[in-house]
Parts: sequence; C-alpha cells; structure tokens
Amino acid sequence: MTAALIMDPNPTALKPTDLISTAARYIMEHRYRSLPVVDEEGCYMGMFGVNCLLRLVLPRAAIMEHGLDNVSFIHETLADLHDRLREVEDEPVTICMHVEVETVPPDNPLVDTLLLLYRTKTSIPVMEPDTCKLLGMISYWDVGQNILSA
Amino acid sequence: MHPVHEAQVIFGIDPTLYAGVLFVLTYVLIITERMNRAIISLSAACLMILGGVLTQQAAFEGVDFNTLGLLTGMMVIVGITRNSGVFQYLAIWSAKKVNADPWGILVMLVVVTAVLSALLDNVTTVLLIAPVTLLITDALKISAYPYLFAEIFASNIGGTATLIGDPPNIMIGSAVGLSFNDFLFNLAPITLVLVPLTMIPIYLIWGRRLEAAPKYREKVMAYQEQHAITDTRLLKQSLFVIALVLVGFTLGHEYHLQPATVAMSGAALLLVLNNFPLNSEEQSKTVHKTFCEVEWTTLFFFIGLFIVVYGLETTGLLKMLAHWVIELTGGDLAVTAIAIMWVSAVASAVVDNIPFVATMIPLIENMTETFGGTEQLMPIWWSLALGSCLGGNGSLVGASANLIVAGFAERAGQPIRFLPFMLAAFPLMLMSILVSSVYLYLRYL
Repeated sequence: MTAALIMDPNPTALKPTDLISTAARYIMEHRYRSLPVVDEEGCYMGMFGVNCLLRLVLPRAAIMEHGLDNVSFIHETLADLHDRLREVEDEPVTICMHVEVETVPPDNPLVDTLLLLYRTKTSIPVMEPDTCKLLGMISYWDVGQNILSA
Repeated sequence: MHPVHEAQVIFGIDPTLYAGVLFVLTYVLIITERMNRAIISLSAACLMILGGVLTQQAAFEGVDFNTLGLLTGMMVIVGITRNSGVFQYLAIWSAKKVNADPWGILVMLVVVTAVLSALLDNVTTVLLIAPVTLLITDALKISAYPYLFAEIFASNIGGTATLIGDPPNIMIGSAVGLSFNDFLFNLAPITLVLVPLTMIPIYLIWGRRLEAAPKYREKVMAYQEQHAITDTRLLKQSLFVIALVLVGFTLGHEYHLQPATVAMSGAALLLVLNNFPLNSEEQSKTVHKTFCEVEWTTLFFFIGLFIVVYGLETTGLLKMLAHWVIELTGGDLAVTAIAIMWVSAVASAVVDNIPFVATMIPLIENMTETFGGTEQLMPIWWSLALGSCLGGNGSLVGASANLIVAGFAERAGQPIRFLPFMLAAFPLMLMSILVSSVYLYLRYL
C-alpha cells in the first residue's frame, strides 16, 4: 500500500494570484483546513489555510520566532482582528502560504504517510518525484474514508 | 600573571610560531563566521594541547572558572525569571506611563533596556524587550527602526555600567579581581551621561517626527500590564533572589566572595525555591528546561578561547606585543589608556569583543611593571572595558545583542541593514568614545 492509493488526485487548489480575501472566503465557505497553491503549469508552491488566516490576524510580535509567548495583556475585539486582516486582504496568498510543508512521493509507504499526517496535523501534498508537479492531496478525510471502506 | 610552561611543540616547530598562527587562524575563522564560534574555539584549544603548546593541566589553569561560573549562574537566574513575564510587564508599564506617546515610549524603553542590561545580560534583555517593542510600534502604526536602534545602544551602554552587564566586564573583573562596586563607581557615572547624550541625535534624526494617531495610542493604553505576569509566585521568588544576588555582588567582595559564587548561589537558591513544591518527575522536567536556557555555545566558546589565549601567553608572544604597544605609546600611561580605548572600540565594532578582550587582558597584565604596579594600571582596565563594550555599538556585528535585534527587525519585515545602520551607529559610537576619553582623562589621568 502506498500514498497514491489514498490520495485525492483532483484536489481543490488555489492559484498564486488569488487574493487573500478570496481565498479566505472560499476556505470558510467550504470549511477547508488548508489548500495547496498551484501555478498554471501545475507546479506546487505551498499551502494556504486557516492557520495562515490566524497568523494574519494575530499580532506579528506574537507569531514570530522568539516572539511574545504570553499576550494575555492585549485585549482586542473581533473588529480589531478584522482590521488587521483587512490590511492584507488584497495581497496574494503567496505572502502567507506555508512553503515548508512536508510532501511525499506517490510510492511512499502507507504507514509512513499516515505517521506523517499524524505528526504534521495537516494535509499532505503528493508530489511527482524530482519535479514540482502536484499529483494529489492526502487529508484526514481521505484516510478515514479509505480505512472505513476497507 | 600566569606561570610559563615549557612547550614541546610537534615536529619541532617554534611554539611561538605555532601558537601565533593557530591564534590568528582562530581569529580569522571567528570573523568570517563560516563556522560556529564555539566549534572554532574548542577545536583551536584542542590543537593548542595536541600540538604540545599546553598540557591538559596547563590548559585547565588557563580557563577562568570565575567568569564561567558568573555567566552560568546569571543565565540560570534569568532563564527562570523570564518565565514570570516581569520584563514584558516593565516594558508595557513604561509605555503606558507616558500615555503611549511615541517619543516618550522610546525614552522609556531605552531606560528599561539600559537598566536591565546593566543588571542582566544584554542578549536576554533585548530578546525580551524587542518583541514588546514590535508589538507597541505595530499597534501605533509607526516604524520600529528608531526604537530598535535606540535599544541596541541602550543595551550596550547599559551593559558597560556594571560587572555583570557585558561579558568583557565579567572577564576584566575576574582577571583583575575587581568588584561589582568598582565597576559601579567607575563606569556607571559615564553611562549615565552617555544614555541621554545618545538620545539627542536619535531625537534629531527620528524622534521629532514620531507621531501616532490617538486611536492607536488608545490601543496601547488598553494593554493590561498586570496580565503580562504569568506566575506571581515565581515573580516574587525571582525578585527576591535577584535582590540577594545584587547585595551579594556589592558586599561579597569584602568577604572574599567571588562573583561566580554569588551568581551560582543565587541560581541554586532560585532552583530550590522554584522546584520545592514539585514532585521528582516535575522537578526533572523543570530543571532540564532551565538548563536548556543556559547558552552552552557561549560557555564552550569561552572555554576554548581561554585555552587558546593562555597558550599564546605561555609562549611569551603577548609579552612581546605588550612591549611593542608601550614603545608605540612612549610608555605614557595617558596615551596608552586612550589608545587602548579607541583601538578596542574600533576593533569591537568589527570583531567579536570577547576574543578581543580575552587577548587584551594578558597583554595589559604584561604592562604592570612598566607602569609601576597594579593600581597604576586601573585607567587602562577602564579604557578596555569602555572601548570594548561601547565599541559594540559601531556596527550590526559589534555585539550579539545587535544581531538579535536585527533578527527581530527582519522577521517583522522592517530589516536593519548593515550599512545604513553603521552609517548612523559608527559616528554615534565614536562620539561616546570621545566623551569617555574625556571622562577617563579628567578622572584618572
């Protein structure tokens, strides 16, 4: 059993030119955790999801490396957070996408792929070896469905 | 002065040549930053022993355990204390005290940074103050650059004021046997002049244009600093121990208590207080976490460096260099002291000041006879301390704290570039050295 057997070969993807506002609305409407960002040639660029949106609404000083680990002294309203999101909503998704997401080749062993999914807690892109081409995505739901129907 | 050991270097190479080349190579590698500095100094130390310049026993004699103990003790104390949130509390409290006025906040953060840098180490201070600075400037919708620039200066100037403020002072204090009070009475007065003096150009360049809309200032005023304190019990314990340690530093010298003993005792006491209510498993976790806060890279860098410099010293090369310096300055104490301050300042702006000071200490010790005794050398020690600590302000690579701040600025999308920083910082640093030279001349020469 390999990763290719449980992946979704036609995943929904964002374009690098998609605006954060558009992507945010789409993610919220369809309740996605994260979506791959893929260019016109089908080349995988990174992942954009709810975590990116959280990053955009939180104070930068809190999310940066060695930043503030306690921000309980800040009392902001939902409107304040929306203001922070509004400042970047016309920017492309590429300014916030995660590029260091772990990927797997299609022939990656199933258990190893599941362990990666368990550890990274995010959908895993399946990539064509030695190229940047995205072959599919593996999400919790794909895995769950496949295991239950086995 | 350290005893000289008989060196038997491999392949019959002249020990002075071997140690000299090894020392220069170590310096070059440290400057180029191609490899971690702890790896460089430890490797060089091993080569000093394997090459036959030093025996293992002699190498251990060269390690200044007082410096290491003081550094480690303070690292443990700060590592535990920082978890209480007291540093963030101070920064937010000070910002609110000036009604979130942008220039007022800059002044207050400079004062907080300078005071904390004098009492703790500079790197920890900026690690804790810089994120709060970015949070406040973000909320005020103003550039963080002037604030971070001013904090770099404040941390290096503040660190100059005390024995424990900056590693060069720790090394000098330990080598010469100077007390916390010696540094406080001799260096703190000039830092009290330098901090406000540095603020003048910062005000003229940036400060007078700093403005924030009232609605953004209200955001900062809405911060509830008391919520920054995450552990009141830990805060009380930490402040109690820090107060005890400071009393130990000020009074300990009279009772022959070395600074390392005071710092390590404080660290041990804080560990006891912090872990007392925990079960053994929780204690293991907490102690492990605390010891992870210790900057082992810095400590191993020091160990290696002490051995390399000691190896060089045993060959007599530093004595020769000392005589050369004295010849160059005509044996005049005033000229020598001022020259050492300026050379230290310029060197510390471009080279790590720790290896520089480690080399200068034995070199200056070799001048004792020429100038008529230990007491007569004091102006030179103050010169070295002022030059090496303040010189760190000259460039972005001048001090570890500068690089930490630059890292924060980069991550916040407001990078501090090497050249623009140096164009403003180097003349400011020279100004501080000029003022320090006048102070030194009027007070000691």
